[in-house]
Amino acid sequence: MSRTAVETATDTPAGFDEAAFEAFLETRDEPEWVTGARRAAFAIFQEKQANPLDPEEFKRVDLRTFRPEAFAVSSKPHQNATFDTLLRSRAEFAGHVSHVDGHSTDADLEQALSAKGVLFGDLAALVREEPNAIKPHLLTRAVTPQTNRFSAWHAAFWTGGTVLYVPAGVEIDVPLYSLIALSAKGVADFSHTLVIVEEGASATLLEETASADADSPGLHVGAVELLIDRAARLQYVQIQNWNGHVCHFAHQVGRVESDGSLGWTVGGIGSRLAHIRQEVSLDGRGAEAEVNGVSFAADRQLLSYYTQQTHNAPQTRSDLLHKQVLRDRSRAVWRGMIRVEPEAQLTDSYQRSDALLLNSTCRSDAIPGLEIEADDVRCTHGATAGRVDEEQIFYLMCRGLARDEAMQMIVEGFFHGVYDRVPVEAVRETLSAAVEQRLSGWSIPKPGDSNVGS
Amino acid sequence: MAQFEKVALIDEVSSGGRKSIIVDHTPVLLLRVGDQFYAIEDVCTHDGQPLTDGPLEENLITCPRHGAKFDVTNGKAMCMPATEAVTTYAVEMRGDEVWVGPQD
Repeated sequence: MSRTAVETATDTPAGFDEAAFEAFLETRDEPEWVTGARRAAFAIFQEKQANPLDPEEFKRVDLRTFRPEAFAVSSKPHQNATFDTLLRSRAEFAGHVSHVDGHSTDADLEQALSAKGVLFGDLAALVREEPNAIKPHLLTRAVTPQTNRFSAWHAAFWTGGTVLYVPAGVEIDVPLYSLIALSAKGVADFSHTLVIVEEGASATLLEETASADADSPGLHVGAVELLIDRAARLQYVQIQNWNGHVCHFAHQVGRVESDGSLGWTVGGIGSRLAHIRQEVSLDGRGAEAEVNGVSFAADRQLLSYYTQQTHNAPQTRSDLLHKQVLRDRSRAVWRGMIRVEPEAQLTDSYQRSDALLLNSTCRSDAIPGLEIEADDVRCTHGATAGRVDEEQIFYLMCRGLARDEAMQMIVEGFFHGVYDRVPVEAVRETLSAAVEQRLSGWSIPKPGDSNVGS
Repeated sequence: MAQFEKVALIDEVSSGGRKSIIVDHTPVLLLRVGDQFYAIEDVCTHDGQPLTDGPLEENLITCPRHGAKFDVTNGKAMCMPATEAVTTYAVEMRGDEVWVGPQD
């Protein structure tokens, strides 16, 4: 059988073998139920290592240069690292939780909210302090170690992460902030974001990732679990802004109960290789989810999304829109699936991916899919990919814009379709500024230029 | 930018043989045709998947999935479904070692 891109080393990587796992457990101060779950996940991880990765998910994700043995969990946080964050300074937040190299560095929450029973802090601490709030939800029904080797790897080695628990009926109007950061070289971060919004409650969580410098390689094998109860509402944003040497693997799942709603925005800006498995599950009548994706790939980045919208109940709605701009020799992959179960009649589901290629050496792969088991539904999907229209550039240049200014305007306009769907002003501004930064200093090739990226 | 790196011994790869290497974070296929060595990026420009196991006849490698052919001496796509050349890398033979350098 030919070696394909989905096969990686079948040995457990050196930094994550049995000895390393036991050493890692020694550093943790956790209740028995957590340790037991980790051991079970590690056994699954070892078993999954022996089997090839699922080609449906990983065929287009080239892991041949991925070297997990080059990374290790950090035993202590890096002192005094500072980060150029995108979101933190753009809005007022009711609370902050930050992690650097897998360790919690700060966690604060407005007193008025803690008084109402809201929990917002570090997972590693909360599994000890508030097990009853965490145990039923952590790695049980959203992200599970059985999914694939990355999920199992995460479930065994999770280092900490941001937890938001909102009790029934509590509505939080001011957004909350979470930072996942890497500072030292060669660190593997396994941050886990867990959000539980109980019946009738609402919250907004803005999360971003950042690297301390432009050169340190790093690894993030993360997970996000968003659990939205009946009639609850959550807006969640994650902006991935690592430096160009970080590998990012994430398994992210949102589950929405009846009449609940989830607004989920992902920004893909940094990293060398990012593969995000993003799943949304509509589990109760009237549940809805809107998913937005903004990606800008440059140089030799590979940004891959494997998305799933699953409709398990009738009269549910989901709407996914991913927009990607590519340049140089980068690559974007989107493999999307809508699955409608037999009882999910009157489902209204939409998925769309648009890619704008700024030169001829980048590449976009978009593979939408539908698996429909009910017979009274509306499911639509679409995918577009294309170069910048030269006539549009000419039109703008006729009105006095320089060629590069015209290109900036076209890219900005391209993303506006997604920005308009994001209700948080600070996030729209952040994404817009990040995109502008990616474009500055780069010149769009003229027609007839040789096909060379930077 | 990448400097030349030693990737193999001349005797390690026989004529018609190959070795998978990494150059500058990129999977590259080192191929020997007669007494000459060539290095091409190990990605088919048609579907973006590896060329690793494609049969090599003289200087033409065939993609195992859809039959695109590339001339390994210059990377040129020789038949459909590929239309774009594959990236080639400079190769030098120093003594009994093979060194691969930055992309051409």
